[in-house]
Amino acid sequence: MTTKTRYFVVISLLVLGVGFGTGLVAYYVGFPAGAFASRGGPADLGFVPRNASVIAFANVHEIMTSELRQKMRRAIPIQENGQQELQEQTGINLETDIDTIVACMSPDVATSKGAGMVLARGRFDETKIEALMREHGAHVETYNGKRLVVADPKDFVDKDATGDVTAHPHSSLSLSFMEPGLAAIGSTALIKSAIDLHKSGNNPQAGLESVTGNDELMNLVRSMDSANAWAVGSGTARELTPRKPCFEPPSAATFDAAAHAIEAGMTTVVPRIASDVTMPSASPDESSSAPPFSAPCGDC
Amino acid sequence: MSDRAPGMPDVAPRLPQGTPRTSHLAPQVPSVWPSAMRIFDLSLGQMLWSRRSVFLGLLLGGPVILAVILRIVDSLHSSGFRVNGAAVGGSAIFGMMIWLLFIRFIVPVLGVFYGTALIADEVEDKTITYLFTRPIPRRAVLFGKYFAYLACTVLLVLPSVMLVFFLIVPTGGGSIGAAFPSLAADLGMLVVGLAAYGAVFALVGTRLKRPLVVGLVFAFGWEPAVLLFPGYLKRLSVAYYLQALVTHEMPQDSAVSVLLQIFHEVPSVTVSLVALGGIVAVALWLAGRAVEQREYILEQ
Repeated sequence: MTTKTRYFVVISLLVLGVGFGTGLVAYYVGFPAGAFASRGGPADLGFVPRNASVIAFANVHEIMTSELRQKMRRAIPIQENGQQELQEQTGINLETDIDTIVACMSPDVATSKGAGMVLARGRFDETKIEALMREHGAHVETYNGKRLVVADPKDFVDKDATGDVTAHPHSSLSLSFMEPGLAAIGSTALIKSAIDLHKSGNNPQAGLESVTGNDELMNLVRSMDSANAWAVGSGTARELTPRKPCFEPPSAATFDAAAHAIEAGMTTVVPRIASDVTMPSASPDESSSAPPFSAPCGDC
Repeated sequence: MSDRAPGMPDVAPRLPQGTPRTSHLAPQVPSVWPSAMRIFDLSLGQMLWSRRSVFLGLLLGGPVILAVILRIVDSLHSSGFRVNGAAVGGSAIFGMMIWLLFIRFIVPVLGVFYGTALIADEVEDKTITYLFTRPIPRRAVLFGKYFAYLACTVLLVLPSVMLVFFLIVPTGGGSIGAAFPSLAADLGMLVVGLAAYGAVFALVGTRLKRPLVVGLVFAFGWEPAVLLFPGYLKRLSVAYYLQALVTHEMPQDSAVSVLLQIFHEVPSVTVSLVALGGIVAVALWLAGRAVEQREYILEQ
C-alpha cells in the first residue's frame, strides 16, 4: 500500500470514527441545547420539556417599543399602578427590563392538573426577587447545582371572613435564575426539568428531552416565522386545560390548535387572527358525544 | 556462479543431504486468502487513484455539496424547509437523501462501474496475463479485487453519508442523538448493499461480454421494473432485500414511487440479511469459478 493510499484510508477512517463518536455521545449523553442546532423558535425552547402541550412566546421588548403600543397608550391612557408596584417590589421594569418570555404548560400526571412555567430573559435584581419570595415564606434549595427558591403548597393560604385558613390545592412553585439574565418561574417539577435540560441538554436515552424534539409542536413554532408573539398547542382537551373541562371533546383523538392571534399588528400593524383546529379523526364515543345540560362544575 | 537473474528469489527448496533430487518438483501454490490479500493490497491503490475515482468523487461529493447548500438555506430562513407548505425536519430530509441518492442511485452505480470492471479492466488493458501467470489461484485475483472494491467504496461512501448526516439532521429541529441509531443502520445497510451489488456485477463482469451494458440494464431497468409489479419476480433483485433494511420512510416523489409504495412488500430484516449474504456468497463463488475456468483471449 502506498503512502498516499495509507493517508486516504486513515483520513476516511478518522471521519468515520469522529462521526461515530459524536453520534454515540449525542445518543447516550445528549448535546447541550443549541449544539449543531438551528431548530427555529427562541433558544429558550431548549429548556421546555418535550411533553409541553402549550407553548407561548412574546418578544416583550419589541412589543413594548412597537408603534401600535404607543398609539394604544395615547388612545387609552391606563393607570399603570400594577407595573409600578411590580417595579417597587421586584425591581423589574416591564418596559425596559424584560426582553423575551417563553411560557409553557404541560400535563402533570401526578396531580392530573396542568403545570406551567415561564422563562423570562432580561435584567433582573436576583437578590431582591429572592428576598421577596423568602419574605412570603419560600425557602431555598439547591438542585443540580442551581439555587431554587421554592414556595410549597402550604404557603398558599386564604383567610375567609371568619379568619379560617384554607390551603389551596396548588402544586409547589419555584423560581430559579438558571443563567445570568434568564429567570424561570413555575411548577417545581418543570423548573427542575428545565435545570436538567440546561445542564445536560437533550438526552432522549435518559428520558430527558426538550420540546425541540417534538416535531409536531416545532413545526407549528416554525410556521410562526418572525411573529413577535405567538402561542401553539397540541394535545387533548384535558392536557390543554389546567382544570378538567366541563365538556371533553368526544373520543380520545387529539387536536392541534395553532393560534397566531397575538401577532395582531404588534409589528405588522394589520391585525391577523387565525386558528387551525384539526377535528378528531376517530368516530365519537356515543356515551360522551353530547355535552351535559348543566355544567357539573357550576362555573360555566 | 548462480544462473539466477539478480533480484529473483531462490524458489528451489533446500533439501536435506541424502534426499534424492527429482527432476520435477511440484510448485507450492499459496492458498486463496493470502493471495487475495496480496491482490487486495495491490488493487486498492490502483482503484483509488484511477480515472474512475474522479467519477466516484463527483458522485459522492454531490450529496455533500447539496447538504451544505441546504444547511446554508436553512440558516438563512428561520422557517426551515417546507414541502407543500408543511415544515420538514432534518431527519426526514436525510432519509429522503438516503433513499433517492444513495440506495436508488449511488450504490447500484458504484456496483455496476466497479464490479463489472474488476476483471474486465485487466482484460481490456491486456494486463490479466501478469496476474494469471503468478503462482496464485486465479480466483484469488477476483477475490482480492472484490475486497479492494469493497474497501474503496466503503471508505468513500460512508464518510460522505456521515458528513451529510451531520449537515442535514440538525436542521429543522432534528436531533443527532435521536437519529443516530438510524444512521448506524443506514451505514450497515450501505455496506451490505455495496457488497451485494459488487458481487453480482463481478459475476456479470466475469461471465458476460458486455458487462457494463448488462449491469446498467439490470440496475436501472430490471430492478426498478420488477419492484413495480406484484408477485415473486422482485425476489430476483438485490433492491428488494436491500430496501427492507432501510429505516426511513420511502419518499413519494413521483408516480413510480407511489406505485412502489403500493406494492412495497417488506421481507423481515433477518430474511433480507440472509438473502443478501446468500447473493454475495453465490455470486462470488460463481464468479471465482468463471475466472478459474474461462480462457481470456486478449485482442491484439
